[in-house]
Amino acid sequence: MTPPGTLMLEAVEIHRDYAMAGDAVHALRGLSLAVHEGDYVAIVGPSGCGKSTLLSLLGALDRPTRGAVRHRGRDVARLDDRAATDFRLRSVGFVFQRFHLLPMLTAAENVALPMAEAGVPPRERRARAAELLAYVGLGARTAHRPTQLSGGEQQRVAIARALANRPALVLADEPTGELDARTGTEIIQLFDRLNRDGTTLVVVTHDEELARAARRVVHMKDGAIVRDERLRD
Amino acid sequence: MRVALAVASLARHRTRTALAVAGIAVASAMLLDMVMLSSGMRLSFRELLDTRGYQVRLSPKGTLPFATEATVGDAAALVAAARAQPGVAVVAPNLGAQLVAPRGDGAVTVAALGVEAGVQGDYALREGRDAAAGELVASPAALAALGRRVGDTVSLGTGWDPQLRAFRELAPRRIVGVGRFYFLGADQPVVAMPLADLQATADGARRDRISSAMVRLAPGAEPAAVARALAAALPRVSVLTTADAVAQADERVAYFRNLAFILGSVSLAVGFLLVTTLMTVSVNERIGEIAVQRALGVQARRIVQQVVAEGLALSVAGGLLGLGLGLVTARYLDAILGDFPGLPPDIAFFVFQPRDAGTAMGLLVVAGTLAGILPSWRAARLPIAATLREEAVA
Amino acid sequence: MPAHRPAFPPSSPCRRPAPRGRWRAAIGAALLGLAAAAPAAAQAPLPTIALDARLRDDAGIRLGDTIAIAATPDGPARRMVVAAFARRTADPSEVARAEYKVRLHLADLQALLAYGDRVDRFAVVTRDSGATDRVVAGINARAFGFRAHRSRDIAVETGRTFAVINRFHRAIGVITILASAIFLLCIMLLRVEERRREVATLRLIGLSRRTVVRAILVEATAIAVLGAALGTGLGWAVSQVVNRYYQGLYRTPLVFSLVTGEVVALAVALSAGLGVGAGWLAARRVVGRPPLALLGR
Repeated sequence: MTPPGTLMLEAVEIHRDYAMAGDAVHALRGLSLAVHEGDYVAIVGPSGCGKSTLLSLLGALDRPTRGAVRHRGRDVARLDDRAATDFRLRSVGFVFQRFHLLPMLTAAENVALPMAEAGVPPRERRARAAELLAYVGLGARTAHRPTQLSGGEQQRVAIARALANRPALVLADEPTGELDARTGTEIIQLFDRLNRDGTTLVVVTHDEELARAARRVVHMKDGAIVRDERLRD
Repeated sequence: MRVALAVASLARHRTRTALAVAGIAVASAMLLDMVMLSSGMRLSFRELLDTRGYQVRLSPKGTLPFATEATVGDAAALVAAARAQPGVAVVAPNLGAQLVAPRGDGAVTVAALGVEAGVQGDYALREGRDAAAGELVASPAALAALGRRVGDTVSLGTGWDPQLRAFRELAPRRIVGVGRFYFLGADQPVVAMPLADLQATADGARRDRISSAMVRLAPGAEPAAVARALAAALPRVSVLTTADAVAQADERVAYFRNLAFILGSVSLAVGFLLVTTLMTVSVNERIGEIAVQRALGVQARRIVQQVVAEGLALSVAGGLLGLGLGLVTARYLDAILGDFPGLPPDIAFFVFQPRDAGTAMGLLVVAGTLAGILPSWRAARLPIAATLREEAVA
Repeated sequence: MPAHRPAFPPSSPCRRPAPRGRWRAAIGAALLGLAAAAPAAAQAPLPTIALDARLRDDAGIRLGDTIAIAATPDGPARRMVVAAFARRTADPSEVARAEYKVRLHLADLQALLAYGDRVDRFAVVTRDSGATDRVVAGINARAFGFRAHRSRDIAVETGRTFAVINRFHRAIGVITILASAIFLLCIMLLRVEERRREVATLRLIGLSRRTVVRAILVEATAIAVLGAALGTGLGWAVSQVVNRYYQGLYRTPLVFSLVTGEVVALAVALSAGLGVGAGWLAARRVVGRPPLALLGR
């Protein structure tokens, strides 16, 4: 089976070590991974295998101890804080397990937050926020605050927020971890739609259904990739 | 959006925010009061001295005007010499003494001022007219002490012997006016009469003598220069400009200035501590949200701006409330201090100037800004991935 | 004591009625400088005078120097020998007064001022405090042209200035306490709310509201007592600094700030009480909410 599109993201021999109570913990051990445009990658493995650490490095939330993380050829692991932040703002969308919406903002305001940071004019970002919320099926809940939304609805808002600045890549860490099965299925379907519409997805998950929905599954254990299987093109 | 976020963050915990604003309001009220106190007396005293436009004062050598019983002789020549100096427009000589009036079996003592009616700067007429020979203007306290009204006659004299209950000299004088005496306490019995009348009392011991003189300068004349010229021309007197007098008074009330500085500093420190504590706790509570914002691509400096803006908003809100509160408490405190015995009625300790409000608010703004800096710096520096992980576990 | 003697503002160009004590004016106006000691053999011994210690410091006068002193600046002067220097007393009414005080033998002053056989007042020492009332009554019954007063009654009358300052200090104290109360309440609230998840966990595992409030109160009490102790120490230290500063500024032995047992007890009671009260209020507020709400669910 052929990989879709050009190379978008690659991790090259990355190591991530933590000092803990005098000992070094090797969360990642020389891991290499390539993700192409349009791909839908699920990263699975037991707890503590380094999945979330890998995701943090791919999204320039953290820096590897050794190795490189290249996004379209640019090593984002070497960026200073300002450049890394800008990279996250414009090139990557994040979806977290616990949604992490700002409780004092409405759904629309949460979605608009990254656009405001990117300097999008107010009228334009209001319109786009409404459009994105409609895209994720929450067109009627734009003025609701997170406490007024269910878990699934909050995660949809988080997905809309991740798409605010039109990133080519969305990274999701256990996006269905806090949801019931039915709601989780809805989110899986939404991810599928995102990918079909052209967004590259890298998802860390324990959810088998979500893993099966991906095009490619990367199995990790003890900080390394043990198996990389492509399920479909 | 940052401003909206800052406001929304503050509105999230209304009780806490309200308490913090209240605390800052009280601190800023105290700060404003102390700023007012630090300059109020000086300003009020200067205004008092400049009443009627007299900028220079003459007194017996080595003394301050009316601080002692000292008088200076050859007064007529002295006054004439002063009037002849360039830059001098008006010279108002005065003589202070005590006179006694019989009342019942005893006597009432009043302070007496001998003045020249056309140039005097010691009182403002509230009722009646200025005194001519054999007449006097009295303060309301004097009228009460003497049991008289305008139009009545009262006998005043010197040499009261309480054992013999006799006066060495006693002369009737008609009360023709009521005056508000600028430089004496409102509760002090004071009368003003023509200078020559008072000089004629005490068996001539006061003849051609004065206690002090006030000098009004010609337009454009420079007080310090005229004062120097007067001092050179009149070696028997000390010459004091308003600025000199204010500086001397400043020394005497150093206590209030020091108190103002200390309490003002403490108020500012309290306000600073309150904002810093609140912002630190607020940031700690929102560490997860801040990590998410950083993950989404919000620059560190924007986080700093938001946190500093929150601290500033608290300070400004508290400060504005405190301005109103401060004016109320200043009136209350001024009323307390106004009870000092013998304090001239026009002296105030707390004098509001818009500049004072500006100073107090400015200090609060700086304190509020600084108070937000440490917690915001912390917030901007947190490790994003680790914090998100901790927040997920929590 | 002369009547109507305002103590404030002292010695400023503001006026006050000339007091009956003429000797003050005489001294303030009349020090004319030093004269060399004349050969003593041919002259009667000069009268002696005790000067204000500040004159020694300010004018460089020494013991044994001869000075000329007069009642008025242009009046006749008498020569006297400086036999002593007297420090100012701890008299609050003298604190801000700049004029120098000197002491002469009564007869010398009466002669200098041409006062004759007159005085302004007598001071009377009684055998014991019980005798004072009898003495006052006895004198007044016989007095002709003067009255006897208890010293403490005069002190009350002439202490109006300090009564005003006391009221002022009290008002400042009240405002400070109010600010502190709000500050404490805010801080305690923040502290307790910062730990609301812990509180929620304790409640969820079965601890009663009362237990949780008590635990918070113990902490609040410890902080309040520690703060009160630290504050007392700080207050004492500041009091020392204040006294040293003002004693130097006004050149007086007067004690401006006194930390007494009563003051300490009041300060500790107030601060500890406010701290504990604030802690109790904050604790009640946080245990009043359902545990799950505290966890944000």
